Amino acid sequence: MNVDSDSDISISDYEENEAGVSRSRTKGKKKATDKRKKDKAKRKPKDVQAYTWEANFARSWETVQEDEGGSLQGAVNDWMARGRRKRLLQPQNAIRRTIIRHMVLLIDLSSSMMDRDMRPTRFAVTLQYAREFVLEWFDQNPLGQMAVVGMRAGVGERICDMSGNPQDVLKSISDRHKLEPIGEPSLQNSIEMARNSMNHLPTHSSREILIIFGSLTTCDPGNIHDTLDECVKNRIRISIVALAAEMKICRDLCDKTGGQFGVALNEGHFKDLLFELVPPPAQRALPRSSAAVSSSTNPAADLIMMGFPTRLPDTSPPSFCVCHSELRSKGFLCPRCLAKICDVPTDCDICGLMIVSSPHLARSYHHLFPVKPYSAVASFDNVADPSTSPSCHACSKIFPTTALHNIVDGMSAIGRYRCPDCETDFCSDCDVFVHDVIHCCPGCGE
Amino acid sequence: MDGSHLSVVVDLCPSQWHLSSLHQPYPLDLGSFVSQLLAFLNSHIASRHENSLAVFGAFPGKSVLLYSSANSPSETPSNDANSFPPFKMVDSTIMHNIVQQLDALDQGLDEEAPSALVGALTKALCFINRLTLEFNTSTANATEGLEPLTLSDPRILVLSVSPDQTTSYIPVMNSIFSAQKLKVTIDACQIYGPETVFLQQAAHLTGGSYIYLERRDALLQYLTMAFLPPPSIRQTISVPTQDKIDFRAACFCHKNIVDVGFVCSVCLSIFCQPVPVCSTCRTKFPIKTLQRLNAARPSLPLTSASQSRNSSTPPTPQKINGHASVTPSQPLGPGGLPPSGSINDNSTFHTNGAKNGLGLSG
Repeated sequence: MNVDSDSDISISDYEENEAGVSRSRTKGKKKATDKRKKDKAKRKPKDVQAYTWEANFARSWETVQEDEGGSLQGAVNDWMARGRRKRLLQPQNAIRRTIIRHMVLLIDLSSSMMDRDMRPTRFAVTLQYAREFVLEWFDQNPLGQMAVVGMRAGVGERICDMSGNPQDVLKSISDRHKLEPIGEPSLQNSIEMARNSMNHLPTHSSREILIIFGSLTTCDPGNIHDTLDECVKNRIRISIVALAAEMKICRDLCDKTGGQFGVALNEGHFKDLLFELVPPPAQRALPRSSAAVSSSTNPAADLIMMGFPTRLPDTSPPSFCVCHSELRSKGFLCPRCLAKICDVPTDCDICGLMIVSSPHLARSYHHLFPVKPYSAVASFDNVADPSTSPSCHACSKIFPTTALHNIVDGMSAIGRYRCPDCETDFCSDCDVFVHDVIHCCPGCGE
Repeated sequence: MDGSHLSVVVDLCPSQWHLSSLHQPYPLDLGSFVSQLLAFLNSHIASRHENSLAVFGAFPGKSVLLYSSANSPSETPSNDANSFPPFKMVDSTIMHNIVQQLDALDQGLDEEAPSALVGALTKALCFINRLTLEFNTSTANATEGLEPLTLSDPRILVLSVSPDQTTSYIPVMNSIFSAQKLKVTIDACQIYGPETVFLQQAAHLTGGSYIYLERRDALLQYLTMAFLPPPSIRQTISVPTQDKIDFRAACFCHKNIVDVGFVCSVCLSIFCQPVPVCSTCRTKFPIKTLQRLNAARPSLPLTSASQSRNSSTPPTPQKINGHASVTPSQPLGPGGLPPSGSINDNSTFHTNGAKNGLGLSG
């Protein structure tokens, strides 16, 4: 690597060449050499990451190459290919996922959230992304429940109780004046609060804490490592999206509990990091020994009693609901205690039965039965059969008749993607749409 | 874009249409259906110049795009002084394609196969997705990096004559959820045959309307009054809505409709009684849970509980009224229930369940 050329070197390139030639050369010599010593001692890939400000500046706009015609089609194709490859890398067979999730969203409301390194402030960006995250999360995890806790002025502050209704959660984080950041954050206090609110949850559901952390300090009353041990014991998965920089304790919290840790580089990356946590996590296999010991409390699988409620028609005579004590005509009746509930899915306020409607169960099925990835058709030799139609099987867009050049791996030169089961061809837009949204193949559905 | 997009999914299963033409007192055969449909499609095009249209046909085991205003037609029909050219083009293209497909059915394809409604529905969704993408790239919106716009009022009208296919439950539900995501309204009209729960749910969940046709001879009237206005102006006019949608689930083991079910946390299979092993994903459940659930079960077995709902002496009249109107539309009537409706002895019931489970696991 030519370090002196000073351009077009992305950070990842830099990491691979971790010889540290440039690091000792640049500023902060002492720190860098210390770090290098530690690297040699441990040889763990995680520790060799360079600080962002030590890496050379990556001119991302220069990596986008125009082709001869001045078009950006090649770059766009490259982006799409990246998504396709990602999907191909995913395991083909169904993996076990936690469908019933419980998450506490911990939002940093300390004064460091007023920093303006994200526009207009970290706080405003966080609130906006949190709202989008909540919507998407409930869309993908209809049986999940979420609570919101704020870290403000050294204490954990309950903003929203554990709720299965996205509107409740959204409402609680919609008013920014109630959430005005102030004081120091306390990781320990707020994690303890989140942990205690999840203590009673059944073992088959996941317990997760997602922390959006903007500060570089935490102001704790005790030893936070004890809290960490408790979280590990309670199988709470902690994921952190940091807005400032990586802290050792944050990294430890995530690594030991099996969560994800990321530092947001900019607004877009912040959103990506958040949304990576939307799909249900794969369930971790337990060690055989512990499963044998506690076979009666196998947390991986359980039979859950669920109630399928009766929906009251809009024209039914109004009556009081048990959740808001308001007079309404719409609602659902708990099949066990006949209490009237405004919205499903929820736990019955009277008898505690989990109440769902069948579409909520169905909404989770696509995580369990994914569509097989389509294979890219390489050239016209593969479509010589006259019976294959000249247009996309789903949207009837006419396929291009000339092959594209400079094709990257995973893309089809002729814009055709073939389902391995029904052997019909689809255009790239439909390929993405079928796998990301519909989750059933239009050809196989016949 | 000012105009609204309409995708029509037409169920063209020949055997069902044959039955429909024999049905008394209001027979409707395929020929008169198609002519009424074409009148409806023409009025959609006529009501606004920008309106776009796509028609998908669901044939036995096959779904085909019959017409779309986005694809230029292969051949322009001969000019006729007495007809408006756009109408003429729609009519002749659709007729040509239907005849072609029905002829193809004679040559080999299985006529008894169920209609490919799911395929047609997913194709309609893909088509709307394509229009949305094209619309976004054509406007300046995409270049400015703003949030992608959605088409105004895209909708899908399903005209079905076939009963529900139980195997297509998951694809239908997936289509419904993607329609919700695209903000597509699904309208459904069951022209012949039993009420379909799937289409009811589709219409309810996407905010469309579902109509079960009683006077088949008045099809065109139903179509124009209920389905011609786009969703945005339906609030101001009175469109039939439905109150009686069945959202209860059927268990995987006996296909009984259950009120309180037992759900596998791994694969979400529903059982009407606690089982030791999930029959779908072979997960073994802990013994303690089984004991706890057996103890916590309602004292009445679920089957008899659901049967008591059909009885005429409800404990709470107001609530059951809603029910009584629901029950006739269930796919499984009382006949589907096992003869053990009056079992009150829990122990025999459980040993049966255990045997079933063990048999499956072995």
